[in-house]
Amino acid sequence: MTATVRLELVTPVLILWLHLALTLWLSWLYFRRYQMTRPPVGVLNTSDITIMVASIILIPYLYLYLPRWLVVGLLVLGMGSALYFVAEPLLRWRGALWLFTGALIVLDLGLAWQSGTQNLPFIIANNAIMILVTISIAVLWAQSGMKARDVALLGMALAVYDLIFTSVIPITSNLFARLDDLPFVPTIAWPIADTGMLLSIGLGDLLLVTVFPLVLYKAFSHIAGIAAMLIGGGVITLLFGLSLVGMLGEIFPVMVVLGPLMVIEYLYWRSRVGNERTTRQFQLAER
Amino acid sequence: MFVTALALLRFAASLIFGVSFSRWALDKLVDALCETHREFGMIGAEGTEMLQGPTLTLEEQQETHLRLFRTQAQRAAQETPYYQHLFAELQLDLARLTYADIARIPITLKDAVRLHPAAFVRNSTQPAFRTTTTGTTGKPTSICFSAEEMHSYTSLATIGLLARGEVTPEDVVQISTSARATLSNTCLSRACERIGAIWYQTGLVEPAQALAYLVEQHALPGKKHQVSYFVTYPSYLGQVVECGLAAGYGPADFGVERISVGGELVSNGLKGRAQQLFGPVLFSEGYAMTETWPTVASLCEQGHLHFEISQAMWEVIEPESKQPAQPGEAGMLVVTPLPPYRMTTLLLRYNTEDLVRVLTMPLTCSQRHLPATSNLLGKLKLAVRHEQGWTYPRDVVEALEAVEEVPLPARWGYWAVPGGVAVEVVARSDSRATQRKIEAALQAQGVPLQTLHLVRNPQRLQHPFPLRCDLRELDFTPPKLPVPPPKAQLVDSRALLLRAKG
Repeated sequence: MTATVRLELVTPVLILWLHLALTLWLSWLYFRRYQMTRPPVGVLNTSDITIMVASIILIPYLYLYLPRWLVVGLLVLGMGSALYFVAEPLLRWRGALWLFTGALIVLDLGLAWQSGTQNLPFIIANNAIMILVTISIAVLWAQSGMKARDVALLGMALAVYDLIFTSVIPITSNLFARLDDLPFVPTIAWPIADTGMLLSIGLGDLLLVTVFPLVLYKAFSHIAGIAAMLIGGGVITLLFGLSLVGMLGEIFPVMVVLGPLMVIEYLYWRSRVGNERTTRQFQLAER
Repeated sequence: MFVTALALLRFAASLIFGVSFSRWALDKLVDALCETHREFGMIGAEGTEMLQGPTLTLEEQQETHLRLFRTQAQRAAQETPYYQHLFAELQLDLARLTYADIARIPITLKDAVRLHPAAFVRNSTQPAFRTTTTGTTGKPTSICFSAEEMHSYTSLATIGLLARGEVTPEDVVQISTSARATLSNTCLSRACERIGAIWYQTGLVEPAQALAYLVEQHALPGKKHQVSYFVTYPSYLGQVVECGLAAGYGPADFGVERISVGGELVSNGLKGRAQQLFGPVLFSEGYAMTETWPTVASLCEQGHLHFEISQAMWEVIEPESKQPAQPGEAGMLVVTPLPPYRMTTLLLRYNTEDLVRVLTMPLTCSQRHLPATSNLLGKLKLAVRHEQGWTYPRDVVEALEAVEEVPLPARWGYWAVPGGVAVEVVARSDSRATQRKIEAALQAQGVPLQTLHLVRNPQRLQHPFPLRCDLRELDFTPPKLPVPPPKAQLVDSRALLLRAKG
């Protein structure tokens, strides 16, 4: 059996790969340099992971059955909060912070309204916003004391979820079909030549690939974080490569591959290094 | 974190609406604080603010107080014999009480509670714990609490200690208070356990024995090597300081970082002399008493006493006119512990007999959002009325404990004489120089001194001021105080170390 390269996918694959690399690099830099405002009492723990998994199961149904205006409202609220929090350590003046958040919301809504969500200006703006949102959530989770064990558990739970809800029940494809023409579509995407189709990676997958290196860095070491970044990035690159030669379908459950890998990585570092470091121990070690 | 948010909402609902604390919410909050401390090494200022509940404007405070007071008054009228009888006579509409009506409710006297403690217990509650005061000003007073209240108090103490960063899991806590102070000892010891700190109760043993515990080295996993948090009364601290300095101890011999001191007046002289022995320790001071437990007031950096408004209604009443004290005037603290802090033994407008002065200037301190008075002046029964006005125990204690010639704790007495007061005090010497020094210190504190009697033997005091350190607990064997290492030897060993490194 010979595989032929789908040339129309080369450019989108390269561009998405650059987006991925940029997200991983920026989140790493941001995590090391800035402190986000975390909730002052409490630590992200296993009960939060349980609630997250329950939300991940329920929210797609909400998005599928709620009126479109309400879905847009929820997306604006969620994305707007993430943008606000990611900019907070950078912009000291509160007015500038609101201006920044407001400007990005207006930009995304305006471009979607004016030229549609398949148009290149919207895609570029939305991709930039999704990178910022991913950094915001990933760093906030890592800086809120999330444990590597819990992210690995979340990854495994999402692998099962992805297997069922992407491969067996077509919830994920229905969800993307529903969100595709809305502003703040939670994907990083690029058009495939003149086919009218997009090559994309979901925000959830990108978030897990981004947060895992940060929590491994915090929990075990710099090397553990870099290794996770290379493994996560490598898996996505491999999947892009497979899509280039047409070996993947229209939609592929990325977490099915990433989830078990995260568990293996966690177990490896746990057996090699021992207990996870707390944030305090991490900060003292990094001084 | 999601569960913590729910627990915080439930906690806030208790503070705002006065509904009982939820055991679940308190436990979750304590767990979250412990987890936050373990992960981040501290609870930030934002966390502390969040746990204090919402900041209310003066109008909102008054509205909340009025609502909670009405609830407490109705419960008291329906469920306690004392207030049932009282309100039957007063004919007040308790559901529509105004501040003017509250002022008409007679102040509840200490003697009434002393004589009939059960008359203040709600008949629908299940008292599980009875505590008594140490009775420094008369017969001990008894107060009953339910098991739920004790759980809440322990949780609130844990939350407070963790949020302020006063006690952490690494701490070794020595509680040198009377073994009869069961309420504060129970709350503190259980709070230490929840936090993960190790605690032990020494009681009021010979000061040399307490000192031996303080210098003792521990090799407990995950704990500091010596006592880091010391809880005691000012007079007992004075005895320990006196004993330690006399034995040649100094800051290098101790690991104490913070001293929680209360139950009596704490003077600046005592704190300064304690720092000579322990080094630059921090002090936790405030105001709390068994009858109004768990309501507290805390001391700010400017020396004001600030009252937690969510816990109680605080009034300052001029002792003679029984009217609210005016700015600059001294008055008695009259406290009504409010729901949900007090649910079993209800006290409305309780006369604590503790005197404070109403402030004349607007607040500029870090706790200016909370109402405040001066620091405690002392008990009304122990204040002296004379021709020139009043002299309060604080005036005398501050003066005496600042003078090195007066051994700690200052043992003294005073009484009114024509033109002012006569003071008697135990001093190290009865020389003329000591006499002059003590006279000058008293006059600097505004004490209208007419005569000063210096004695060397405390037994010779005619009107000795009661001190809690005299509630002594006995041991079978006399204390063995380890001999402190000579300072020269310390220098030598450092030199040896330096040489070895070189």
